Amino acid sequence: MNRRLPLLITILLFGYAFLYIPIVSLIVYSFNESRLVTVWGGFSTKWYGELLNNGPLLSAAWLSVRIAALTATLAVILGTLAALALVRFRRFRGRGSLEVMVTAPLVMPEVIIGLSLLLLFVAMETVIGWPAGRGMTTIVIAHTTFAMAYVTVVVQSRLAHMDLSLEEAALDLGARPIKVFFAITLPIIAPSLIAGWLLAFTLSLDDLVVASFVSGPGSTTLPMVVYSSVRLGVSPEINALATIIVGLVTLAVLIAGWVLWRQEKRNQLDAH
Amino acid sequence: MKLKQYLPPARNLIIAVPWFWLALFFLLPFLFVLKISLSEPILAQPPYLDLIREIEDGFVTIVVNFSNYQLLLEDSLYLSALLGSLKVATVSTLLCLLIGYPMAYAIARSPSHWRLPLLMLIILPFWTSFLIRIYAWIGILKGNGLLNNLLMGLGLIDSPLEIMHTPLAVYIGVVYNYLPFVVLPLYATLIRLDLTLLEAAADLGCRPWKQFLLITLPLSMPGVLAGAMLVFIPVMGEFVIPDLLGGPDTLMLGKLMWIEFFNNKDWPLASSLAALLLVALILPFVLLRHFERRAEEAAA
Amino acid sequence: MKKMFNGIKYLLPALMLSGAAASSAEELHVYNWSDYIAEDTIAQFEQQTGIKVVYDVYDSNEVLEAKLLAGRSGYDLAFPTARPFADRHIKAGLYQPLDKSKLSNLGNLDPVIMASLADIDADNKHLVPYMWGTTGIGYNVNKVREILGDDMPLDTWRLVFDPEIVAKLAECGVSLMDDPTEVFVAARAYKGLPTDDFSKSAINEAADTISAIRPHIRYFHSSQYINDLANGDLCVAHGYSGDVLQARDRAAEAGNGVEVAYAVPSEGAVVWTDVMVVPADAPNPAAAHQFIDFLLKPEVIAPITNYVAYANANTAATDLVDEEIRNDAGIYPPEQTREKLIVLKTPSEREMRDMNRTWTRVKTGQ
Repeated sequence: MNRRLPLLITILLFGYAFLYIPIVSLIVYSFNESRLVTVWGGFSTKWYGELLNNGPLLSAAWLSVRIAALTATLAVILGTLAALALVRFRRFRGRGSLEVMVTAPLVMPEVIIGLSLLLLFVAMETVIGWPAGRGMTTIVIAHTTFAMAYVTVVVQSRLAHMDLSLEEAALDLGARPIKVFFAITLPIIAPSLIAGWLLAFTLSLDDLVVASFVSGPGSTTLPMVVYSSVRLGVSPEINALATIIVGLVTLAVLIAGWVLWRQEKRNQLDAH
Repeated sequence: MKLKQYLPPARNLIIAVPWFWLALFFLLPFLFVLKISLSEPILAQPPYLDLIREIEDGFVTIVVNFSNYQLLLEDSLYLSALLGSLKVATVSTLLCLLIGYPMAYAIARSPSHWRLPLLMLIILPFWTSFLIRIYAWIGILKGNGLLNNLLMGLGLIDSPLEIMHTPLAVYIGVVYNYLPFVVLPLYATLIRLDLTLLEAAADLGCRPWKQFLLITLPLSMPGVLAGAMLVFIPVMGEFVIPDLLGGPDTLMLGKLMWIEFFNNKDWPLASSLAALLLVALILPFVLLRHFERRAEEAAA
Repeated sequence: MKKMFNGIKYLLPALMLSGAAASSAEELHVYNWSDYIAEDTIAQFEQQTGIKVVYDVYDSNEVLEAKLLAGRSGYDLAFPTARPFADRHIKAGLYQPLDKSKLSNLGNLDPVIMASLADIDADNKHLVPYMWGTTGIGYNVNKVREILGDDMPLDTWRLVFDPEIVAKLAECGVSLMDDPTEVFVAARAYKGLPTDDFSKSAINEAADTISAIRPHIRYFHSSQYINDLANGDLCVAHGYSGDVLQARDRAAEAGNGVEVAYAVPSEGAVVWTDVMVVPADAPNPAAAHQFIDFLLKPEVIAPITNYVAYANANTAATDLVDEEIRNDAGIYPPEQTREKLIVLKTPSEREMRDMNRTWTRVKTGQ
């Protein structure tokens, strides 16, 4: 192990460099006075100012965040239900079809998901009048449908490895199944629920293809704006936006890490 | 309290809610796609013929058209696209494993209080917009971009390397995006590796690299397979990365479907391509998941 | 946790209701090309009429077409290109006929352009021309002169289709549009062949011309060249007149020493018209008519031309357009160039599908 240590560390560093070079370049050039990547025109925060004035970009970003939050929450609820059904209930009618339907969105290319849902929404609107035109609602439904597949996978593996003895003990003591779920199971699988929520949030925030198909007037998402900018010519406002996002995410992770660290310390103190 | 009598038992609700959601928003749309794949394109809204042609005197005439599937299987263009997708998916998966395995191994063997931060560092980029990061790569890889300017500035090359719009750029983009999907399952498997097995082998005179080949690698296979599937299958249908980074000669199925749908307005053909692709991808995946869970249940 | 879950269940219906409530205020949903309107046009319209405008953009006719074909797009006004898109859409019944009594400014339009649209739109019932332009060649003046010398005429398709010339320009960067109709027609014009023939043999001839220079083409794209020309990353691009001129203006603004110019090839170039249409299932056609009438005012359309560098179809507005734009041969081509411009004929469905398949083959080098 000692002999291999430098090699492993080198590979790790190379890997992290590969992951972070684009992000660092985004941040650095968000402060570039010049518009071009190739010319360093001096330090300037003017792109942040322009970003604040860029109404369409900001409203698209805000819309995407709202859609992602709704999607993640719905996906966690539906995904957890599906995972529970598949892990805890041995046999039930529709098990086979549930298994396939829950895995299929992971495999379906986004173009198909987008196209098929567009057709569904148009047909639904024609027959029952809902959803009335495509917009935020349809995007949330579309995102939830494929995000819940990922959440199911995450929660399923946690549930499958869970020690059932705690639940059995609670049931023996007379607690009703629902109470057992909320008081015992949920806290134990909470980390995977959070991981699932974050995963679904990211998938929704990043989705371009499906949103392009099922969006409607006034519902342009952030990826759609960035995509057309990349084709027509980007402005460093996008760099500024990226830097802000990286900053917020890092802050969130640091806060979460600090909270977990405090909890660890408290647990250790309790243990003594 | 009385309401409880009318509500279905909790167990049925738990099954029914996700089932009906998926049936409505996944199965039904897919059946639409299947229906269109059996139709023909026409110039109208919507641009395909209804399968039910006539309802007269109680007789319903339905016309089902398999020519789209026939065309897909006969025309070499689609075969090329399939091969193109297979090539990109395979190479990217291998590259991801080549880079991701050592990283996962290094993190798993690092001191325990470092592991979580190291993992977080892998996932952090994933939480910033993927499109914006691809755009950053364009700025780095293009003819007049950072990489070329750096290499030329250092005097290592004379004229700019053409990386943008080539398969290499696509591989870089795919590996960049899918690396966390490989590192995480591999890490989860490697962390459970029983180090005493390796110690025992060392005691018996086994060299380190042999330990790796005979013990570590086989035991980490479930993680390798999981990571490989999580890269291979989505990349088969990937559209955005080849579209932004690839050239016209990287023809993949996702792009082809896009072309058939938007440029040709041949919704029936695009739908049959979609149906075939789905069947081709889902069967192995479902089988794999099934066996995976059987193995997990057996082990637990 | 449980309460949070319950709360979310009520959020979804609330979302739907809020969507419905918003549309009761007078709204106009416009779907236009990106960068195709002046910065204050919409604000002015909103001020004058009190109608709120929801303005979405697209960057290809195909995306607009797919939304229209799917039905119930939710848009009141769109701006497709007349040929072949609007032509097809009229035949498919996607547009509603316009109520000319609501369009008092129709008289401002150029009768020549109206007449040219009449063969695809009888009595000009559905289409109102917006902007028109040509598809030619954009190039980096200094770099191309450096490579080809000062004697070489630059207003010719040879810059992209002559194997010898393209080979020299290849390292500097040559791009073609990702549009089979435009590129095949240009290839046939280069060879001096009739450009309204979309038969299989004709297309194969054009495909051979393109395949001959395919190895030297850096990429096929219908909008990326704007940025690349402006930054000096590309030398020669097949592109729309206004887009190339926008690249020229961007380069001048950036002061990076890149000079971009546009040329209408002498062998013939496509002239196209973008038109305003009201989809058959538009939720608010009345507001759409108001906006069309607003855009027909000379004092509204002239600033748009100034901003987007495309010629408008409004003769009354020509005097109000900036002088340097009026005199720019790339935007308002002179008489002799106009004679050589090609009006696209709409290929049949079958021809279109074959063209697209051949195009995919040519691009992938098969």
